[in-house]
Amino acid sequence: MDLYEFMRGMLRGQRWGKVLSSPLTYQLVEKALLLARGGFRWRATYLMGRFALTQTRRAYTGKVPVVWTSAFFPVEIVWGLGLCPFSPEVAAAFITSLGFVDRALNRADQDGYSRDLCSFHRCIAGAAADGYLPAPAALVASTHLCDGAPLLFQNLAGHYQVPYLLLDVPYQSTPEAERYVADQLAGIWNRLSEIAGRRPDPSSLARAIDYSNQFRSHLEAVNALRCRVPAPIQGSEMLNYLYVFFAGQGHEEAAAVFGCLARELEDAAGCEDRERFRLLWLHLKPYHRGELMHFLEEAGCSIAFEEMSYVYWPPLDPERPFHSLARKVLSHFAYKPLQRRVAVVDALARKYRVDGIVHFSHWGCRQSCGGSLILRDALQEKGWPVLLLDGDCLDERNEAPGAVLTRAQAFLEVLEGRKAACGGMGEQ
Amino acid sequence: MITGGIDVGSLSSEAVLLKGGEILSYSIIDTGADARKAAEQVYQAALERAGLESSEVDAVVATGYGRLVVPFAAKQVTEISCHARGAFFLFPEVRTVIDIGGQDSKVIRIDGRGNVVDFMMNDKCAAGTGRFLEVIARALELSVAELGMEAEKATRVAEISSMCTVFAESEVVSLIAQGVPRPEIVRGLHQAIAERTAGLAQRLGVVPQVVMTGGVAKNSGVVAALSQSLGVKVLVPQEPQIVGALGAALLAQKVVQS
Repeated sequence: MDLYEFMRGMLRGQRWGKVLSSPLTYQLVEKALLLARGGFRWRATYLMGRFALTQTRRAYTGKVPVVWTSAFFPVEIVWGLGLCPFSPEVAAAFITSLGFVDRALNRADQDGYSRDLCSFHRCIAGAAADGYLPAPAALVASTHLCDGAPLLFQNLAGHYQVPYLLLDVPYQSTPEAERYVADQLAGIWNRLSEIAGRRPDPSSLARAIDYSNQFRSHLEAVNALRCRVPAPIQGSEMLNYLYVFFAGQGHEEAAAVFGCLARELEDAAGCEDRERFRLLWLHLKPYHRGELMHFLEEAGCSIAFEEMSYVYWPPLDPERPFHSLARKVLSHFAYKPLQRRVAVVDALARKYRVDGIVHFSHWGCRQSCGGSLILRDALQEKGWPVLLLDGDCLDERNEAPGAVLTRAQAFLEVLEGRKAACGGMGEQ
Repeated sequence: MITGGIDVGSLSSEAVLLKGGEILSYSIIDTGADARKAAEQVYQAALERAGLESSEVDAVVATGYGRLVVPFAAKQVTEISCHARGAFFLFPEVRTVIDIGGQDSKVIRIDGRGNVVDFMMNDKCAAGTGRFLEVIARALELSVAELGMEAEKATRVAEISSMCTVFAESEVVSLIAQGVPRPEIVRGLHQAIAERTAGLAQRLGVVPQVVMTGGVAKNSGVVAALSQSLGVKVLVPQEPQIVGALGAALLAQKVVQS
């Protein structure tokens, strides 16, 4: 059982909007989660579920100012003020996993959002228009990587009539760029404290930075343990930890999730039957009911590692929080010339001894898919089989399910042929 | 050893029966609405032509979009591997296979052993595929089989700017209304399909020999336009529509041997 299955079971047959926007839902589900905690493969899953449910309930009660943060904004800033961050992109994946996404997407359609836009953003727009997301006191977005979120957030700031704060991240990572981003972060920190009516407390921010560092080191420990063959945990499971990746950094419970997972992985054994092929997964996975992930699992594919879990940033300095967060933001390997991403992916593929690389090309995501053909060519030159798998993380209507499965199966046939050629392990 | 290959496509289904390196029989039927029934019918037709009972066939491999609904198949393999295997069997020097089927098109690069090295498929719409030609032929009051001959009569090429099946049909209707001769329209369509397919192929890299498979390869106009767009001669098997099923029958030999 994964967390989404658990939640689906709890909420089956309910009226989605009413259920999602009621704090009582999260309180009840949290209690049920406690009772069901033994059913999860990892205790870390339970911890993440508890953390996410508590914070979501907090967001819906309205007692603490809620700050919407875009996926790549350094959320430590928000935790450091004692405010409640809310990641609408994670919420969109959550809504999809619960089977409620169609209604939100339809509402976005009605409101004129083009279907060519990213479905994460369309889902957020639709759910916000229907009034089912926690009302923000402010929205903060960063310009790096995702170009859709800043525009959507600006739009939604108008909808909610609240301030919109933008973190402008330069493309080049220079000392000047670091100062520029650090100054903006300090400004956002002050502005958010004004909006929330709280006095900014540097020691609270230093604590958030410390938790973020703990998160980082635990994630590194998890990643080190995942080098084992067979893989002790699947990438598809790791891709369910979206909440801690995008909303949790800077909170002690997010750090505890990966601390727990690292301890659990030390004793965990992978399953050899699921190691017919080891894959490196780039970008996100589908969160809808499509069959792709199940198909890969049934075909004996192990997602040995996924790009999302790569620790690309250096440890943060609690003494210089804004500068070190600026460095973190600027060091993202995908916000650089494409050669940097190629080098990172190549190194990960070697480290995790994969047979092939799959880039899940989420419809409408320019930051990940824009360079995918060049990425593919460069990785193939290095000898890696690469599959560009066109799909949509949330909107099944943007996928041709038969074509997705055919591409995936054909890629496995290519891998089988390569294994046969290399040592007779399989045949096409 | 006798083996069978069944290719259940979106428009047509094919079956091939193979004994060693010899094709004993093949059959082609429309898939219709029931892919499972089509698989059974096309297989039965091939068995009858070969004078065989199903019990005499050692193994069957299914391919095509309906590969999962063939109950008597020992294995399901994608049409990508099957077209590669079938084309390699017919043309051992082939390194690039272009398959334009009923609802999608694929470009497949293969190595000197017939294994797939890489592939690309068109996006999720049916632009430039068999379904596209079928719709346009209907608008022109021609059969699909007549399109190639019709294009040969053209002295000029009409420009078709849209590759969306629905919009292209409207565009063709407008051209007819403007009095553009039908052969020129057909030639324009062939040119548009060729350019789209060549774009897909060039993204993967075109290495001769190039073999075209699938039902659209029967259209000499598309093949000629594609050869011109790619700048290499495009070879076509005698019966391009059965190459996927042939590849499946060849892979069924491996199933028996394993």
